[in-house]
Amino acid sequence: MVTAAPPRGEQSAGPSARQVAGRRWRSARGVVAAILAMAVVALILAALRPSTSAEALDPESPKQDGSRALAEILRQHGTRVTVARNAGDALGAAGPGTVMVVTRTERLTEKDLQELSGVRADLLLVRPTSFALDALAPQVRRGGPTYEEKDSPDCSLQAATLAGRVAFHESETYDVAGSAAACYRTEYDAARLVQVRNGTGTVTVLGSTAPLTNRRLTEEGNAALAMNLAGAGTSVVWLVPDLPKEGAGAGQKSLGDLLPFGVKLLILELLVAVLLVALWRARRLGPVVAEALPVVVRSAETVEGRARLYRAGRARDRASDALRSGARERLVPLLGLPRSSAQDPSAAQEIVTAVARRTAYDETYVGAALYGPEPLDDAGLIALTDVLDDLERQVRQS
Amino acid sequence: MALTGRLGLLALLGAIVPLFAPSWWTLFAVWGVLLLGVVIDLALAGNVRALRYHRSGDTNVRLGETAKVSLIVENLGRRRLKARLRDVWPPSAGATPRMVKINVPAGERRRVEMTLTPTRRGDRKAVTVVVRSVGPLGLAARQLSRPAPWTVRALPAFPSRRHLPAKLARLRELTGAHVALIRGQGTEFDSLREYVDGDDVRSIDWRATARRGDVVVRTWRPERDRRIYMVLDTGRTSAGRVGDIPRLDCSMDAALLLGALASRAGDRVDLLAYDRRVRTRVEGSSRTDLLPAMVHAMAPLEPELLECDAAGMVSTLMARVRQRCLVVLLTELNTAAIEEGLLPLLPQLTARHLVMIAAVSDPRVGEMAEGRGDLAAVYDAAAAERARAERRRLTAELRGHGVEVVDAPPEEIAPALADAYLALKAAGRL
Repeated sequence: MVTAAPPRGEQSAGPSARQVAGRRWRSARGVVAAILAMAVVALILAALRPSTSAEALDPESPKQDGSRALAEILRQHGTRVTVARNAGDALGAAGPGTVMVVTRTERLTEKDLQELSGVRADLLLVRPTSFALDALAPQVRRGGPTYEEKDSPDCSLQAATLAGRVAFHESETYDVAGSAAACYRTEYDAARLVQVRNGTGTVTVLGSTAPLTNRRLTEEGNAALAMNLAGAGTSVVWLVPDLPKEGAGAGQKSLGDLLPFGVKLLILELLVAVLLVALWRARRLGPVVAEALPVVVRSAETVEGRARLYRAGRARDRASDALRSGARERLVPLLGLPRSSAQDPSAAQEIVTAVARRTAYDETYVGAALYGPEPLDDAGLIALTDVLDDLERQVRQS
Repeated sequence: MALTGRLGLLALLGAIVPLFAPSWWTLFAVWGVLLLGVVIDLALAGNVRALRYHRSGDTNVRLGETAKVSLIVENLGRRRLKARLRDVWPPSAGATPRMVKINVPAGERRRVEMTLTPTRRGDRKAVTVVVRSVGPLGLAARQLSRPAPWTVRALPAFPSRRHLPAKLARLRELTGAHVALIRGQGTEFDSLREYVDGDDVRSIDWRATARRGDVVVRTWRPERDRRIYMVLDTGRTSAGRVGDIPRLDCSMDAALLLGALASRAGDRVDLLAYDRRVRTRVEGSSRTDLLPAMVHAMAPLEPELLECDAAGMVSTLMARVRQRCLVVLLTELNTAAIEEGLLPLLPQLTARHLVMIAAVSDPRVGEMAEGRGDLAAVYDAAAAERARAERRRLTAELRGHGVEVVDAPPEEIAPALADAYLALKAAGRL
């Protein structure tokens, strides 16, 4: 019977769980809002970022941003197209009179770029990264992106003048020092297509991938420009590097090497500050006092437990017996009979007669209510309580 | 020693410095400044070790009322002490304020007033006194925790004392000490006085009348100097809560009212609290200090989660009281506990003493018995009827043994017990 139970009726003593939760929520909602805002911004940025599929500018891919169309056209015009999946293969296939199309330069390691810079072939760099640009065309510098749709060549480069207007869509622009062909300039004089000479051959830098893709090849003079640039030699080596192997980029600097020394000291000092704040918060003004709490057990728990057992066991017989004998106990003094007769089976007839005389019901009905068989279903049990209440009320009022 | 938030903030600001001069020496300089600040603060903060504590104030408080306890802080150091002080008490002592700021000049004393509103009965001991003295820069503090012992005893609330005047008036009617000078009932000769109209002629003392030449009547009064032995059951059944109050607390309240009433009536009252051993005992108290003695004896009592040892209780009782007395057993009419424990021993007890059992009934059972409408309520009602039938049967069985049974809900148990006592007294059955 005696078990520990959560205290009841002590809400008035301290704040309830709901109040505590509300207070915590109010104090934390600023932080939660900030985190949510950051998540939303991150999602928007991720959604706005142009997606590059794994097969972009791949001369064997027939997808929208693949370049199979261009490669096929080149082959039909008698140019041999070799696809290289890494820098080594590309170097092996290249030679004088070859145009090497270098795409996806973000996948080239520093070592690859170094090797490529010594190649004896014309290079066509398609939207190179700044690392690739520095390694392969040091005299060209990146400008900034432009989104103007179309432009005319406005330069002396034959490949461009023949192609005429070209649909670049989004494009990178370049500044070039000294004498070089700079075509498709923006209003700020930055060029989308640049060709420089470099020892053994030419290096052409194209700021947009659009003229080479299956999707955009047919727009304006895109096909012509691509054919003129790529098909300038007798053969094409198309370099679409796979992702470099793990460790291939070894020798690159780690994050620690890149951080300035001052920032490292700042981080160390921040850790010290956090430690000090933790020590401040950890030291309490006095101990937490524990005390033994009294056991809380409701006195009526056994009765409630028995009620649930009755219900679980559908003990209509026991329940109706208890209800009937309780009603008889209350009726007997009202009828002027001795108390002991309530539980005495031999006094049943006497009680039934006395009750029937003082109520509107006949003896059969009263007998069934006070001494009848157990109810057949739950509705019968509920009805029995109503009948007993009614009998008691009528006897009381008579 | 304790650090402050200001030190953390300063360390945070110091994090910017290495950005301008990226060198280890810059960082060491920042640390040096922080350390210097901490050292200065610790050196110049008021000396918490030089404090002496003295206490004064209330040692007893009735449950529900507020006690005042003073803590006097004496600074024996050579510097002024500005500090935060926390007088630590257990949560159920209800001590406020939680923290105070004190400012004690060297060699002087300051008083800190604490108010305690205990939420439970029993002894509440002061745990410790914590002082945190922050240095002039506010970067570090000296902190010391040192006990300043004091105990406040939360006494039973005795809410039924409001019934006492009515019961005492009833008692005065019985004893004839009433202002209306009604002739006292009872069997014990009290005194002789002159006949006044309305006196029963049967009470005229003819012999005295002849001696005085005036009509003199005998007055009677109920027996005095009877013995009442109250036994509090502190076993498992006393832990059950009726409403939100443990049954033990209701029993105590009833015992206090009966004790107060019986001591005024000139009876000797003793108290025993028992479960498997004697928890507390009040014996041989004089009329005036009975109530304080009972209240103090009851204050630390808690229900034990054990089955009450009825045999032990009866034998303790029989050993302590030789002459006939009224044994008032404050327990619960729990079928199993009574039938297995007390019932077989009752003849032994009733042979020598008059036994009265006072039990607190749970109004919740009555509420459940009224339940109608849905199936759950009807089964509740059935279980409640069953419980009441068992209780009735047990009561009848106890009455069959000649035991007086007082069974009432918590708010009525104390007056009901007092009434039962007065009825016994009026009937001269003590």
